[in-house]
Amino acid sequence: MRAASRPGTLARRERLFAYALLAPAVVAVAALIAYPMYLIFSMSFREGKSMNFLALGNRPLGLGNYASVLADDATWHSVWVSFAYTFGTIIPAFALGLGTALMLDRVFPLRRWLRSLVLLPWAVPGVMVSIVFLWLFDASFGVTNYFLRSLGLISTDIAWYTDESTALVAVIVPTIWKSYPFFTLTLLAAMQSIPGNLYEAAEVDGAPAWRRFTDITWPGIRGQATLAMVLNGLWTFREFDIIYAATGGGPSKATETLGIRAYNEAFGYFYMGRAAVIGVLMLVIALAAVLLARRQLRKEFF
Amino acid sequence: MRRWGWTVAVALLCALLLFPFYWMFVTAVLPTSQVLARSPTLLPSIADMSFEAFRGAFERKPLATWLANSLLVTLGATALSLLVSALAGYSLSRFRTRAQEITGLTLLLTKMLPGSLIVIPFFIMASTFHLIDNLFALMLANAAVGVPFATWLLKGFFDGIPRDLEHAAMIDGCSHLTAFAYVIMPLARTGLAACAIYLAILSWSDFVFAKTLINDQARWTITTGMVSFVGEHGIEWSALMAAGILSMVPMIVLFLILEPFLVSGMTAGSQR
Repeated sequence: MRAASRPGTLARRERLFAYALLAPAVVAVAALIAYPMYLIFSMSFREGKSMNFLALGNRPLGLGNYASVLADDATWHSVWVSFAYTFGTIIPAFALGLGTALMLDRVFPLRRWLRSLVLLPWAVPGVMVSIVFLWLFDASFGVTNYFLRSLGLISTDIAWYTDESTALVAVIVPTIWKSYPFFTLTLLAAMQSIPGNLYEAAEVDGAPAWRRFTDITWPGIRGQATLAMVLNGLWTFREFDIIYAATGGGPSKATETLGIRAYNEAFGYFYMGRAAVIGVLMLVIALAAVLLARRQLRKEFF
Repeated sequence: MRRWGWTVAVALLCALLLFPFYWMFVTAVLPTSQVLARSPTLLPSIADMSFEAFRGAFERKPLATWLANSLLVTLGATALSLLVSALAGYSLSRFRTRAQEITGLTLLLTKMLPGSLIVIPFFIMASTFHLIDNLFALMLANAAVGVPFATWLLKGFFDGIPRDLEHAAMIDGCSHLTAFAYVIMPLARTGLAACAIYLAILSWSDFVFAKTLINDQARWTITTGMVSFVGEHGIEWSALMAAGILSMVPMIVLFLILEPFLVSGMTAGSQR
C-alpha cells in the first residue's frame, strides 16, 4: 500500500489492518494445524503402546519408534505401495484430464452442460466412489467381470478386491475416476488463457493439429500442468477414504499405503508413536516432492 | 453442423465416463433377481423398475439423520472457512510483508498434510476437551483443513481486482474495511462461489474425521453411515446404491448449478 502522505501512522495502520485480516487464518492454522503437527512430532518420540491417549506424555522419550518403524519391512512395503498407487493414479488421470480438456476447449452447443458432466466425479465423496466401484468390480455379479467374460478376455471371475495381485489396481481405478476432473479443470483453465490469435495464425500457416498442440497449447499449459501434477500427486499420496472403505489396506497389506498404515497403527493397534513416525515419514516424502518441483511452484504460486 | 458433431462426440465420452452413475441407478431400481445375475440387464425396461429400494434404505437405516448431520457440518464448516479465507486471501493479495510470505508458505505446506495423520492429534485434542461425538468439533476440523487452499484460491482472485477500485472508495471516505466489504467482496462473487463449492464438497466428502471423532450412531454423517453398509454380511446392493444416490444428490445439484463459477473462478485465479 502507498501511504506517502503521512508515512508513520498511516503505514502502521495499514500494516495493522493487514495483520488483523490475517489473524483468524493464523489462529486457525496455529491451533488446528501447527499445534497438531507439534503433537505428532512429540508423540513420535514417546515409546510403547497406550490405550489411554491422554497419558502418552508420561511415556519414556526415545528414538525407539523410529528404529522399529524404519527397520520394519512392512514400512518399506508401504512406501512402495504408496508410490505405485500415486503414479499409477496420476499418470492415467493426467492423460484423461488432458484429453477431456482438449475436447472441451472448443465452441460447441451444450458445452456448459457437457463440461459440468465431465467434471462431475470430482463432486462425489471418496467413500461413495469406493462403494460404487466395489459393486462394479464385484467378483460374482460385478458388471466389469461380465464385460470381460462377454469379450472372452477372462474365463474365470476375477476377485478384484480380495486377490492380492489385483487389489491395488482395483483401488487405483476409482482413484483415477475421482481425480481426472481436477486435471480437466486446471488444464482447461490454462488452455483458455492462451490467446486465440495464436491458433488463427497457425491455421493460416497451415500447421497440422498436432503441431498446434506441441507448439502452442503445450507451452501455454506446461506450468499449470506441472502444478496440477504436484498438487494431485500430493493429494493421491495421502489419499485415505477410497482405499480404507474398499479394502482397509488388505488383502495381506497389498493396498496398505503409508496413510492407511499410520491410521491402522494408531486406531487399530494403539501404537500412537509408531503411527506418528509413519506420519513424519510421509511428510518428509511430500516435502521432498515439493522441493524437487519448487522452481515451478514458485513461478505459479507466488 | 460440424459443431453438433463435436457435441455428440463429447456426449459419448461423457456417457462412458459417467457409466458408474448409470449403473448405480440401474442397480437401485431393479429387483434383486436382476441385480444378482450372471448376465446383468444393461438396459432395463420401465416395467421392471421400482423405487422400493429407496424407501427400504430409509427404513433400515437412519439416513435422514445422517444427511441432516452432514448438512449441518458442511454448512457450518463452509461458512466459517470461507470467511476466514476471504480475509486472509485479501490480506495476502494486497499487502506484502515478511510475515505474510511466511504465512503463505505455511498455508502451502499444510496442503500436504494427510487427513489420516492430522486426525490423530485431533482425536487427542477432542478427547482432552471432551469433544468426542460433538458435531461442532467435527465442523471445526473440516473448516481448518479447508482454509489453506481456499485462501490461495481467493488470493489469486483478489489479485485480479484492480487496487484502484478500493483506493477510489477510500478517497470517497470509506475505511479500508468498508471498502473491502462493499466494493471488493461483491466483485469477488465468482471467486467466493468457486471457493464455497470447493469447501462444501470437501466437508461433505469427509470420512476420516467423522469416523474418528464421532462414535454415536445418531451423530454419524452420511459418509460414515454409508461405509457401515459395506461391513455387513451379504451387502444389499440395491439399498446401498439407492442410499448412495441420495447421499450424492445434494452435492451433484450444487455442483451442476454452480460449476460455471468454479471454472471461471479457477480461470481468473490462474491468469491473475
